[in-house]
Amino acid sequence: MSTIFGTSTSAFFERSVMDLTALRKQAEETQAEMSTGERLQRSSDDPVAASRLRQLARADVFDDIDTAATNRAVGDLTLTDSALSQFANLVIRLQELATQAGSTTVNASQRAGIGEEVAQIHGNLVALANTRDANGNALFGGESAAEAYTLDAAGNATYTGTNAPGSISLGGGQSVPRGVIGPDFLQFQSGGATVDLLALTKTLADDLKSGTGGITPAQTALAALGDGLNSITTAQTVVGSRLNWIDLNTDRRASLSEMRTTEKTEVGGADLTESIARLQNTMLVLQASQASFSRLANLSLFSVLN
Amino acid sequence: MASDLLSIARSGVQAARIGLDITAQNIANASSTGYVRRSAAFSEVASTGGAYRIGDLSLSGVRLDGIVRNADAFRQAEVRRTGSDVARASAEASGLQNIESAIEQSGVFDAIVGFESSLQQLAQNPTDTSLRASVIEKARTMAGTFQIASQEMDAAADGLRFLATDGVTQVNRIAQELARTNTRLARASDASSDKTALLDQRDKLLEELSGYANISTEFSADGQVAIKIGGSTGTDLVIGNTAATLGMTTSPTDGTISFTVGSTPLTLAGGSLAGQQLALAKGAQLKTDLDTLAGDIVDAFNTAQSGGRDLDGAMGVAIFSGTSAATMALAVEDGRKIATAPASVTTPGSRDATNLAAIRTALAGVNPSGTMDAILFDVSGTLAGRNVTLGALQTIADTAKVALSAQSGVDLDQEAVNLVRFQQAFQASGKVMQVSSDIFNALLQIG
Repeated sequence: MSTIFGTSTSAFFERSVMDLTALRKQAEETQAEMSTGERLQRSSDDPVAASRLRQLARADVFDDIDTAATNRAVGDLTLTDSALSQFANLVIRLQELATQAGSTTVNASQRAGIGEEVAQIHGNLVALANTRDANGNALFGGESAAEAYTLDAAGNATYTGTNAPGSISLGGGQSVPRGVIGPDFLQFQSGGATVDLLALTKTLADDLKSGTGGITPAQTALAALGDGLNSITTAQTVVGSRLNWIDLNTDRRASLSEMRTTEKTEVGGADLTESIARLQNTMLVLQASQASFSRLANLSLFSVLN
Repeated sequence: MASDLLSIARSGVQAARIGLDITAQNIANASSTGYVRRSAAFSEVASTGGAYRIGDLSLSGVRLDGIVRNADAFRQAEVRRTGSDVARASAEASGLQNIESAIEQSGVFDAIVGFESSLQQLAQNPTDTSLRASVIEKARTMAGTFQIASQEMDAAADGLRFLATDGVTQVNRIAQELARTNTRLARASDASSDKTALLDQRDKLLEELSGYANISTEFSADGQVAIKIGGSTGTDLVIGNTAATLGMTTSPTDGTISFTVGSTPLTLAGGSLAGQQLALAKGAQLKTDLDTLAGDIVDAFNTAQSGGRDLDGAMGVAIFSGTSAATMALAVEDGRKIATAPASVTTPGSRDATNLAAIRTALAGVNPSGTMDAILFDVSGTLAGRNVTLGALQTIADTAKVALSAQSGVDLDQEAVNLVRFQQAFQASGKVMQVSSDIFNALLQIG
């Protein structure tokens, strides 16, 4: 407020209007802050804070997408894990059957019967290898759009998927492979050679059914099946550690999101207590100004002179 | 001539009446715009005795010397100068505010973020048609908001140009009126009430003119004013009874404006016209920035898109058309056309997202949301700066105005005192008449 002595009447009114308007404007701004909960009504109120808020809002949008991606990755990996458990169960059953077939107490026709069951299990293994994920894509086929394994006329399974599983971005530059591909665990080293579990099962079934060879193929297969089970449990361990990695990232994202919310409130939120106190203060000054104005305005020499 | 008590009293009564009239006039005009408080200057009427009668007392009462206009030329000049500054700052700030709203309220930033995020989401499963449709819809929203921002900015610029055109018309009208006032001032007799009214009008017009452009003034003895527009080194606008014409040209390329007087180019440093000129220049720069960003997004996306294959195994076609914010549009509305797969994979429905990554890398090179944030920061930062300047200038201008009106305005208390004073003077002069009459009667009774 400027004070000029020897003032004119219109100057007094002009100045009073200026001061009262300024106070009223201040009160309205505080009121807008309180009713919107935002300190900034438009970017130019505080350009730096507004820019920061825009970046935070952008990070929030991307965080939502990362959350969805994480859920997708968790879904795929959980499916992979349970499929691997089933693989393991089937291999254990195969081990039992191979042990039976490898025993001298069963005769050729019983061995052929066991061969039938092994053939059934081979079918189950192929079907399991072609499991679909949540999006309807081959779970063990990598990036393939079609089946992971195809069967030829003789019933031999061939891997037709891609060489690596796709990866999903978890945000913050981190990503995780979304699963494992078939050959990762269905092909393994045994006795110094690469063995394919599906091919092994197929050969075993064929050998047992035809009755040729007798005990020998079952005993050879038994050794390889142990390595196969190892390979499957190794794959399960890999999947488990990937799920752990996702959990870590989820925790990191949650704490980042919390930090963002805190910063948002600090940068752009209105402190209600402070705003209310400031409004009260402004209103008090405004009331006092109005009261003093009406008193001063009534002070006219004309009302004294008679 | 010997002193005559009755005629002295008569002149006293007359002077008191004039004083009362002027007081009444001041009270009546207490709230008239541009009215400057008048006061009467009285002087004694007395003469020396003349030849052979040096010792004579020769008193003839009082006469009105003139009506004084209590205007301080310096304070008036200050009001004009600071008023020019405020008008410039407030015109620029309000123009920038409209431009800020145009860019911010159109939601371009949010739309860009939405588009970027939809591409990231598509990366999770490139063959999902609903995710692809979402990318197309977000792209449509983005193109739409770019168009809205561009239209709103054009509308804001149109508004500024309209105001500037009106300002030029007003400047020319005021210049004409000042030229006419100059003519009448040259003819008005000294210290007449006609002249004081003309001077009031002159000052009011000058103050009005300074709201549109910064001016410098030069007053001659008879009250005529010579005006230069654009400050003391500017161009002559009014000299005597002739007024030059202010003209405005609009640039056909970017819509900015420039001024001329006659045919001389003019640079304005103050007044609303200067503010509108500045706001238009800033708006044109921001529009170019926005157009460049829109064009870059279109180029980067389309180029990367043409290097891959779409969901049906065909080579990617341009998704966007247009080169600027106003012309940006979707050329393709089918989500299957987004080329996520690399050119080397010819099978339809490939889940290989190599080219989607390439598209996202190309877009990240343009950094659409970062650039948009910079544009928003540019306009809001400029506006915030101008608002601070405006606040300071407003305070200075208000103080100058109050200072002028304190000095030249009417103080009702003072007028009340004057009213009593002149009333008493009137009564005293009446008493003198009565005394003179009593003396005359006493003289008559002697005989």
